[in-house]
Amino acid sequence: MIMAALKLTHRFDADSCRHYVGDLVSVLHCHHYATLFTQLAIDSRDLVDGIRILREVTEDVVHGVLKGYFAQNGIADAAERLALGQQLFSFYGMGKMSLVAPGAGGGTVEMGTAHVDEGWKKKWGKAAAPVNHIGAGFIAGLFASAYDKPPRSYKVEEKQSRAMGADKSVFAVSL
Amino acid sequence: MAIDRNKVIADMSKVKAEPNPDGIIPAFNVLVNQFPANFWNRFSMRMMDAVSGDIKEAVEELLVNAAHECGYHTGYGIITSKEWDAAVKPMVGGVEDVLHGAYAVFTAWGWAKAEIVELVPGKRMVVRAYDYYEADIAKDYPAKKAPRPMAFMIRGVSAAFMDLAYGGDYDPAGQKGLYTFRCRQTKGIEVGDAYGEFVVVPSSEY
Repeated sequence: MIMAALKLTHRFDADSCRHYVGDLVSVLHCHHYATLFTQLAIDSRDLVDGIRILREVTEDVVHGVLKGYFAQNGIADAAERLALGQQLFSFYGMGKMSLVAPGAGGGTVEMGTAHVDEGWKKKWGKAAAPVNHIGAGFIAGLFASAYDKPPRSYKVEEKQSRAMGADKSVFAVSL
Repeated sequence: MAIDRNKVIADMSKVKAEPNPDGIIPAFNVLVNQFPANFWNRFSMRMMDAVSGDIKEAVEELLVNAAHECGYHTGYGIITSKEWDAAVKPMVGGVEDVLHGAYAVFTAWGWAKAEIVELVPGKRMVVRAYDYYEADIAKDYPAKKAPRPMAFMIRGVSAAFMDLAYGGDYDPAGQKGLYTFRCRQTKGIEVGDAYGEFVVVPSSEY
């Protein structure tokens, strides 16, 4: 099967001075911002489950973007959906992911690069624990949208982390 | 020569963020991402709504701080970039022009349609934002009105721009120069005002 290439239109609205990717307002932010949001989520653990919030927010946003894209473009095949989601991950500048034996029941996701991990190392050096909660949320949203399931259907656990010094990050995905 | 704001916005709004083959966007001495704006808003909203009292103030400060550091490092990357040199630098006659140019870029990149309306060099800056993505947070609250001003990103970046202008030499480690200024939000579209307003003063006067 020939996989479709992700096609997203970008436009700048000169009146509002906003950028749009597809129908959504898009904004450039740096690794300082992404890693400090992540740090805030981690550090708040005694007050609020910030990690869960960060993962769920990412999952919800990605699920919405991909469901909309699949509907608008008539993409029904799960493998094609997963491939498009991988392209979206890179389009956003979040890194490069590959999927190992994915299926409706889950699978394994590997990242040779990840915005949060590269940013974390650049900013603070090696992490003591996995930190790519944005990446984990993205994966959960990707699998749920690919297999027509609602958000919170998949559990994603980061088993190996580039931020901690591994060559690649590895995530286990399960229902 | 004064900054031709409209020209800067027209030129800099065309700068594209293209990922490299590894899906990473290195630009302006930082790594950039282009996530949907509602991602940043929803995290801020859920974090703020999950806490109360003094803790809410603490979370707010941490959200502002994330933007403060972002604005300091990325802001420096912008004003030392080849894109800046081409589009803005020829119009720059002094530090104040750098600030006006920075807000034109800030506008061009979709952070906020914002400009400086008052500037006392080294002492005080007032910024107005007539459209900004953080105002969209109001859409998720009852009656489409946020319970408090929530443009944390604009606050942090505005303080950072004053740090860069008047806080001394840029320090990549952020040990000196960063946090010499702080910003308070006095109006917000998200709370029903016609525009957002942001007042930046030295940290000692905050």
